[in-house]
Formats: sequence, structure tokens, C-alpha cells
Amino acid sequence: MEITEQIALTVLMGLFLVGIAAWLARVENWRTYSPVGGGATGGEAAYGSEEKPSGLIRWLTTVDHKDIGMLYGAFAIFAFVAGGLMVIVMRAELMDPGMTLISNTFYNSLLTSHGITMLFLFATPIIGAFANYFIPLLIGADDMAFPRINAIAFWLLPPGALLIWAGFLPIPEVIPAQTGWTMYTPLSAGVGSGNQANAGVDLMLLGLHLTGVSATMGAINFVATIFTERGENVSWANLDIFSWTMLTQSGLIIFAFPLLGSAIVMLLLDRNLGTAFFVNGGSPILWQHLFWFFGHPEVYIIVLPPMGLVSLILPRFSGRRLFGFKFVVYSTLAIGVLSFGVWAHHMFATGIDPRLRASFMAISLAIAIPSAVKTFNWITTMWNGRLRLTAPMLFSIGFVQNFIIGGVTGVFLASIPIDLLLHDTYYVVGHFHYIVMGAITFAGMAGLYYWFPLFTGRMYQRRLAKIHFWLWLVGSNVTFLAMVLLGYGGMPRRYATYLPQFATLHQIASLGAFVMLAGGLVWTYNFVVSWLEGPHVEDADPWNLKENGLRTNEWAWFEQKRETAITDGGEESETVTDGGEKVTDEE
Amino acid sequence: MSIEESHDDGGHQMPAVEDWPRGFGEASWWPFVTAVGAAGIYAGAGLYVVGQGDNAPVGPMAGPAAFVGSIGLLLAGLYGWVYHAFVSHFWEREEGGDHGNTLKWGMIAFLGSELATFGAGFGYYFWIRAGAWPPGELPELTGSLVLGNTVLLVLSSITLHWAHIQIRKNKRGKFISGLIATLLLGIIFVGGQVYEYYEFIVHSNFTLTSGLFGSAFFGLTGLHGLHVSLGAVFLGIVLVRTLAGQYSAERHVSVSTASMYWHFVDVVWIFLVVVLYVGAEVGGAG
Repeated sequence: MEITEQIALTVLMGLFLVGIAAWLARVENWRTYSPVGGGATGGEAAYGSEEKPSGLIRWLTTVDHKDIGMLYGAFAIFAFVAGGLMVIVMRAELMDPGMTLISNTFYNSLLTSHGITMLFLFATPIIGAFANYFIPLLIGADDMAFPRINAIAFWLLPPGALLIWAGFLPIPEVIPAQTGWTMYTPLSAGVGSGNQANAGVDLMLLGLHLTGVSATMGAINFVATIFTERGENVSWANLDIFSWTMLTQSGLIIFAFPLLGSAIVMLLLDRNLGTAFFVNGGSPILWQHLFWFFGHPEVYIIVLPPMGLVSLILPRFSGRRLFGFKFVVYSTLAIGVLSFGVWAHHMFATGIDPRLRASFMAISLAIAIPSAVKTFNWITTMWNGRLRLTAPMLFSIGFVQNFIIGGVTGVFLASIPIDLLLHDTYYVVGHFHYIVMGAITFAGMAGLYYWFPLFTGRMYQRRLAKIHFWLWLVGSNVTFLAMVLLGYGGMPRRYATYLPQFATLHQIASLGAFVMLAGGLVWTYNFVVSWLEGPHVEDADPWNLKENGLRTNEWAWFEQKRETAITDGGEESETVTDGGEKVTDEE
Repeated sequence: MSIEESHDDGGHQMPAVEDWPRGFGEASWWPFVTAVGAAGIYAGAGLYVVGQGDNAPVGPMAGPAAFVGSIGLLLAGLYGWVYHAFVSHFWEREEGGDHGNTLKWGMIAFLGSELATFGAGFGYYFWIRAGAWPPGELPELTGSLVLGNTVLLVLSSITLHWAHIQIRKNKRGKFISGLIATLLLGIIFVGGQVYEYYEFIVHSNFTLTSGLFGSAFFGLTGLHGLHVSLGAVFLGIVLVRTLAGQYSAERHVSVSTASMYWHFVDVVWIFLVVVLYVGAEVGGAG
């Protein structure tokens, strides 16, 4: 009878939630789009252009690429804050060598969750945010090719996140996964005497699979959109750089994520049904092959679009076009192809065939070439340019700087003898954090600041934005350089405790992390306050891109939208009451 | 129709005019319902795992119940979505060769992702095949059943292609019979697979947990069987729409995309028979 009770409770809970949603939709009028309240009763008879219901229902039902982009952005930023706070706790624990603040198992849980949160719930979705909002605008499409699939892909993310974090929720008998984000077998298969047979690991794997499905659906949508929905005046020859990187990235996702999905299903079968894929006679090393066949393209999946953002934004504030545009495109495609041939450089220390190792080393070194092509193109774009050091520009330059350090440390890791020394040390942690935090997140911030006027209609506070940038630039370099040095000293990664000799560098690394936390607080304050109360932008070209002939389509759309808003009698910044009378500026 | 026209501001087409909630151009509950259904399936699987053991916080049936309920929700969402996006007002909708192209590219990209889905399974099989072989006692793999099944599936591709040619010539009667033949062949194929599983599991004592080859065999054939079933669902939808009077020589995009999927699954099967059935038996006598 326990089951019927369960089901009855679930149904009751569901009804309760539906009731709340309905109530919210009635009373809430936040960010009202259309003047008619109460969502579903919006009615067909209404005059004018009524595209969306109002209130909460608008966001739950939207199939508009711009709204979905905003949802992706909100989700990604929420995940970024969650993953960031996780690592702040970890860095606090690492302030001294022993186990003081949190237990070692909780440290391991945070370590695992931080990685997965940042890679799957922040980096991939924040790219989805920019791409959804801007790709259709940039290429002159009405919307994404499949608007409903677009919405489904987003709505798979929050439940995926809940499953991934399920171990932290107060569910009895379920503990968080402690497998590391790479989920290496046999640990992740739950065999042996550890605690990783716990259902928390299964829930995380299920959540990961769900987010993978979401990413794949998104990628298919972008491929179809960029191939077939381009406007009449957008040809392959003048396709913008961000769309090129998104197209390449989507191709990578299509071949990488489903493979991880299958590997996760195999792992789940091993854990629960006693199959022999990776344990029980199967090969634990095969997991590493499959995982990194996905995992290394994943690195490029999350770095190529940020490179596209920088390639788009950096020339706008250099007063000139992107230097060597074609070569930036070619290098993007080259990285995309090569990325599938480098995976075993994560496995140099596993005792795989030396001939295989050498070929992977060669390709891994070769991938430095297209990466350097891009870097030199960014530098030559700025060379002799008329630089304007706005916040998006600063973050773009910070991206280039951190990418150079992250890239060059990577070239050393690609070399087998050096890798054997530095494998599984903090050097590796420092290297990839230069890329994922120093480069990818910086590019994301560049995008957020650059388009802030477009999606809010307001301007952020410039001084706070620059304080944010400098705190992050200094903080990230303090932290990650200390990590590189720790690695040289032989400090192994993933540990909650360490030998006293590493204390100073660990404390410096933690200091840098706290500086970044301060920067993050400044950023949050700036965005929230400016969004609510910042000054409205005066015209549709806040960055004065027109005078250099550098304006792109999304700003033209913004201008058109503002003009339509004025002639229509207002929307968004101006609301219309039920009687249709114009009320200027709700504040 | 009036809504569609009134929403036609500056050539911007509204994607979801007919969806529930009605009356809006860019709002639809179906994606949300579909996603909740899909997520519920995962949550159901998770609850099933959580429900194992003695001190489980949920009963052992909570997971399966949520799983089945969510499948219902998913299907409802998919129905609403597909119906409003493609089926309703089939003839009134703009005759866009463009959108057909989009759907075909979408299907091509989806098939690319399918390659990767199968790739991991085949990767595992090649991995163990390159090791000591055979890894244990193999069941009798290449019999008349698998041969017959292969013939059936190849035949179904031919009948589907023939049907596709007929609709291009606007010969609806032949198109319908080709479609029905394909669907029947596909269903018989799945039946054959089920029978093979039955023989292996009950009579040969060869199961999913019979070691390396068991994992590879049931993993790959199971994945493929799911795909054939999904393909049959696609074809079933096409058939129902045909019987409802849709499609013509000019307008048959979903016939094309469903065919692409079906042929793809067929090709995967041939590859699978060669490497998994035949490949397991030849060369590994040592």
C-alpha cells in the first residue's frame, strides 16, 4: 500500500504545483510583455501583435529563440554561481594542509560536482544562451530551424541538473558522487569496498545523460539553422565568425556527446545489471578511451564558440575588421577535425602502446598550430588599431592573455616525457583552468557585457565592470599560476590534504580564488542593479559601431525593434494599459 | 488563419500559431510537457535504482510507476508537438521547399549523432574482439533466423524505396501498399529478434550477463532493435497521415526523412551482422 500512498502523494503534489503556477501566472506581472494578464486567457480576439502570454507562463511556453536564450543564460549563470561557491569551499579547505573545514569525502563530492557543473551546466549552456539569442539574428533567420525542439532541449537541463546534484539533496541513503568529473572505472562502476556503489552516482550519470541529450538536440538545431535558414543576404562567404564556430562546435557535439551517452548507459548497466563492459571482466581502460574520445572534443566544444565571441567582439573595439578572417575560419575547422585525434594524450601514463602514444603526441602538438593562428590574428587585429578599452574589450584581451598561457602550458603537456612527469599534478589543473576559467569564462563575460544593452535596454556601470575585470584577471592568474608551480613541485591533484611544504602556494591559490569571488560579487551587484535601474541606452548603437562600418545584424535588429516599439505605442520599456493608452516609462 | 496574418509583421513568421495555449504566435506548452515527460523517464530510472536495497527511501515500484507515467507524458507532448507543427493544416501551410530542406538537414545531423551512439557500442565490441577470442563459449550465431531476418530488413528497405518512388509519381494506392509492406516486414523483423532473444536466454542460457560477448551482443542488438522499433513508429505515423489523405508528389518531406532513418537502420544492421554475428565466428578458432 506504500506505493499507492506514494502515487497519491505525487499526484497531490503535482496538482499543488500546478495550482501555484496558475496563481503566479495571475498575480505575477513581472516583465510583462503583453498588456493582457492571465496567460491562457489571452484570447485570439486580441488586436495588435500578441506573440506571447504574460507572466510565468510566457517563460514556460516560449518557443522564441531570444527567450530561450535568456533561459539558457539564467540557468548557466545559476550553475556558475553554484559551481563557483563549491570551489570556494574547497579552496577554503585547502588553506591549510590538514582536514579542517570539511571532510575528505565531502571535498571529493565538491570536486566532482564542481567539474561537472562547470563543464556541463555552465559552459555548454552559456554558449547556448549566446547562440540561441544571436545566431538567428546574425544570420537573418526568423527563428531557429526547430523552435519547439529548441525549447525541449532547454527544459531538459534543469531536471538534468537536479539529478546531477541529487546527492547533495536531503534524500536518505543517497550520497553525492565522488568519482571526479572523468568518472574513471572501476571506481565509478561501484565495485570494490568503496561507497561509490551508492545510488547518488547513478543519479548523476542519468542527469549527465539527460544534459547530453539536450546538448545534442541543440546542436542538430544549430546545424539545420545555419545550413538552411540563413537570410537572403547571408552567404557562406560572409557568414559571421561566431556562426562558423557554432557550426563547428555543433558538429563536434553531434559526434561526441552521443558517444558519451552510450558509454554512460554501458556504465549504468555495469553498475546495476551486471554486464561486463568496464568491470566484471571488461576493460577499465576502455572507459578512458571512450570518455576522452568524447572528453577532448568537449574541450573544443566549449572553447570554440568563446573564441568566436572574442573574434566577433575584439575587432569592434579595435576599429577594424578581424585580421585574416578566412584563416580564423580555417583554423576553427582544423581544430574541429583534429580534436577527434588527440584523446589518448590524457592517457599517456596508462601504459598504452608507445607507438600509439607517439601518434597522439604528434597530433596534439599539431593542434597548437591552428590555435596559434587564431591568437596571432587577434593580436594583429589589435595591432595599430584604435583600441577602446571598454569592459567587453578588456575581457576579450584578458581572454587572449590567459589563452596564451593556458595554450602554451598545454603544448608541454602534449609532449610524452614532460607529461609523464606532470601527469595528475596541479600543473594540469592550472593549465586547464587557464582555459576554462581564464579564457572561456572571460569570453562569456565579454559577451554578457557587450550585449547587455541589447537584452536589457540599459547600460551597466562602467567602473564596476572594470573593477570586476581587474579582480578576475589578477585573481585568475594568481590562482592558476600558483597551481602550475604546485605542479612543478609535484603536488598531485584531487587531494583534500597535502604535505606542509605546499602550504604557501596553496594559500596563494586560495587568495586568488577569493579575489575572484570578490570580482564575482561586484559583477552580480552590477548586473542586478543595472538591469533594474540602469540608465536606458540612448540609441540603438551603444558602442558606436556604425561609424567604423562594424555594425552586425543583431544591432540592426535592435534598432528596428526600438523603432517598432516607438511607433507601436510601446512595448517592454513602455507599457500599455488595458485601455490601450500609452504610458511612457513604467518607472 | 486570421491569427497567422495578423502576426505577419515584417515577414516574421510565427512558429507556433496553433499550439496550446492558443492565440499566441510564439508560445507552446508541448515542448515543456515533452521535456517533463523525458525527464520523468530519467527520474523513474533513478527512483528504480534508489528503490533497491533494504532501507530504500522509496518503494521498489515507485521507479517503474514514474517511468511508465512519464512515457505517457512524453508521448502526449510529442503528439501535441508533431501534430501542431506538421500535421494540422497540412495542405494550408505554405508549400516551402525550404523547410523540407531544413528537416532533411536535421535528419542528417541526427543520423550523425546516431553513428556516435552506435560507435561506443561497436568500439567496445572491437576492443574485446581484438583481445583473446573467443572470450568464452559462443552461442550458435549464424543460423537461418538471422539470415531470414536480414533478408526481411533489406526487403523492407526496397519496398520503402519503391513506395517513395510511387508517391513522387502521385500513385497513392501503390504508395500505401508499399508503406504497409515495409511496416509489416519491420514488425516481423522485430518479432524475429524477440524470438532470437528467447532462444538464447531460455534455451542456450546466453544472456546480458554472460560475460564479454553477452554484453556486446545484447547491447548492440538491443540498441538496434530499439531503433527499428522507433523507425516503425515513424513509418506508422507516416502511414496514418497517408490514410488521412496527406502527402502528394510535391509534398512528402516526412516520407523522405522517415525513409532516411529506415535505410540508416538497415545499413547498421548489415554492418552488425557482418561484424557481430559472422565476425564473432570467423577467425577466432584459436
